[in-house]
Amino acid sequence: MIKIGILSFAHHHGEAYISNLRNMEGVELLGVTDDDPLRGQTIAAQNQAHYFHTYEDLLEAKPDGVIICTENNRHRPLVEMAASRGIHILCEKPIATTLADAQAIVDVCDKSGVLLMTAFPMRFSAPLLEIKARLDHGDFGDVYCFNGTNRGELPTKHRAWFVDPLLAGGGAIMDHTVHLVDIMRWFTGSEVATMYARSNKIFHADEVEVETGALEMMTFQNGIFATIDASWSRPQYWPTWGGLDFEMVTQRGAVVVDAFRQNLNVYRHDWQRSNWAYWGSDSNHAMVSEFVAAIRENRSPRVTGVDGLRAVEATLAAYESVRTGQTVQVQHT
Amino acid sequence: MKVGIVGAGSMGTTHAAGWAETPAEIIGFTAETTQESGALAERYNAKVYPSFDALLANVDVIDICSPTHLHHEMVLKAAKLAKHIVCEKPLARTAAQAQEMVIACEKAGVQLLVAHVVRFFPEYALAHSAVLEGQIGKPAVIRLHRGSYRPKKPAGNWFLDEEKSGGILMDLMIHDYDYARWVAGEVETVSARRVTELHPDAPVDYGLAILDHRSGALSHIAGAWAYPPPTFRTSLEVAGDRGLIQFDSDGTAPIQNLILKTGGSDAPDVALPSSPVSESPYTTQIKEFYGALAEGKTTRVSATDGLAAVQIAEAALESAHTGQPVKLQPLAEAS
Repeated sequence: MIKIGILSFAHHHGEAYISNLRNMEGVELLGVTDDDPLRGQTIAAQNQAHYFHTYEDLLEAKPDGVIICTENNRHRPLVEMAASRGIHILCEKPIATTLADAQAIVDVCDKSGVLLMTAFPMRFSAPLLEIKARLDHGDFGDVYCFNGTNRGELPTKHRAWFVDPLLAGGGAIMDHTVHLVDIMRWFTGSEVATMYARSNKIFHADEVEVETGALEMMTFQNGIFATIDASWSRPQYWPTWGGLDFEMVTQRGAVVVDAFRQNLNVYRHDWQRSNWAYWGSDSNHAMVSEFVAAIRENRSPRVTGVDGLRAVEATLAAYESVRTGQTVQVQHT
Repeated sequence: MKVGIVGAGSMGTTHAAGWAETPAEIIGFTAETTQESGALAERYNAKVYPSFDALLANVDVIDICSPTHLHHEMVLKAAKLAKHIVCEKPLARTAAQAQEMVIACEKAGVQLLVAHVVRFFPEYALAHSAVLEGQIGKPAVIRLHRGSYRPKKPAGNWFLDEEKSGGILMDLMIHDYDYARWVAGEVETVSARRVTELHPDAPVDYGLAILDHRSGALSHIAGAWAYPPPTFRTSLEVAGDRGLIQFDSDGTAPIQNLILKTGGSDAPDVALPSSPVSESPYTTQIKEFYGALAEGKTTRVSATDGLAAVQIAEAALESAHTGQPVKLQPLAEAS
């Protein structure tokens, strides 16, 4: 039996992970905790999960692994606490808001010999796995470029801290750069070499301090180039939270991939707006399963902390480019 | 009004169909070979002229549908003879040439009407007026996509000749630079990439550009010569602080063809968009130009718009080459 704990529900994915864990063979949800006791106790009660009063209490109960769902800038102290006790870690993305924290997170897990996995669910998306398999099979020939979007509503309806410059580490760029960067690294096996980014604050201009619109243009070390639209440009009455899609241009033409297209259109009298009911496979479930399997089999997970670090490097380079107005070189440690 | 058409490719043919819907008289055509111009001349009961100069001497309006690199010389000649001009996009191969053409036409007192036909497509025109009316508030992020296959001329394919056409970042994507500028105003900075910069022999091409508008809006422009014939698709999205407008040619096509094919490709040399409407946007454009020429009415596209689009395209080419964003000279300063 693999025992897992959840640290914090600052990230709304934490609640989904409870049901993911409950639906897995050979896994026990040891319990949950939160530095916001009201939030933590409410979610624990709703899900009949054991609530620990402190992070220390939960870690002393000796879980095999923990899932860290704090705000972006608060991952590091919990990673250090868990790693020092030999507990494996699945950490929400972006793994940190500074290079120093991201590097420290990777280093402490290395030194402590615990597994560190970054929560990149898109690596487990069924449509994306299909594309990856076709790439590896050589169906497309050389890949030339990507035109990607990862856009959403203003995320305050999930959690207010997503627009807090300190807790989130930024706005739309911090929220929506890492997934596509990770997907493209995964597909191409190459690292981001240069980054250009522009941002604005026209959507929700009076509500937030951080950027809400952002376009990025990057090149990889192997010459592939890409753009990412990271904007919070979906209206609050959009049929779903947002989405992730990209066009991949290759020697043999192009494929257009919409990772969240598997929806029913639902029109309800009581909502007076259309709604997309997703019926595609649950990538979060597959991701958490991989974390558990890696612990069980004592092997590296398919997505590592270094993957999280590389995505943070590209994201911070985007902010540097916004500041300087230039295409910047992305440094990799 | 006597009109002469230069070039008998897909644009010369389309413009001729437009002029035929106006009171103007198409008096003649000229093209690289008389074989090309002959068929068109016959259809419109017009003459084949052996040269540009011979045609120019006999018209009130010259409609230039020749390859891009020839526009500069032809427009300057026409202005010198005080002929009004309709010119296909891109107005010129370089911004310096375009600037010279605009000034020459101003001085000569002739109209220079640049065929940025996307402004005349009903879906693009409607989206533009919706934005102008304030329906979606202030534009913040604009996304424009235009994708097709590589132009496939049998011989002398000037579209693929960088020096003549400017390639995908100029010839194809200029439509959407112009549209982005029409919707969100002047562009200050351009950053771009394209496949053929690094892979000159790639079987496909694809360009990406990010435009910074003075208003603070950002535009993302994508152009593809990468799809199987006869694909031609475009999409637009304007996201504002009070709403969102989307258009997708595939999603709004009123007819889907699921007809069994008997083999062979029937794709035209150069793909043109098509969604059945009562009047072709190319005809709407020529009619509006006719109104400007015959009655002095204003048009939705100015000579300066044509110049500005070339300036953006040229900056995109430079950026794709250097990897750095390119700042544009304000046009008023440049002139």
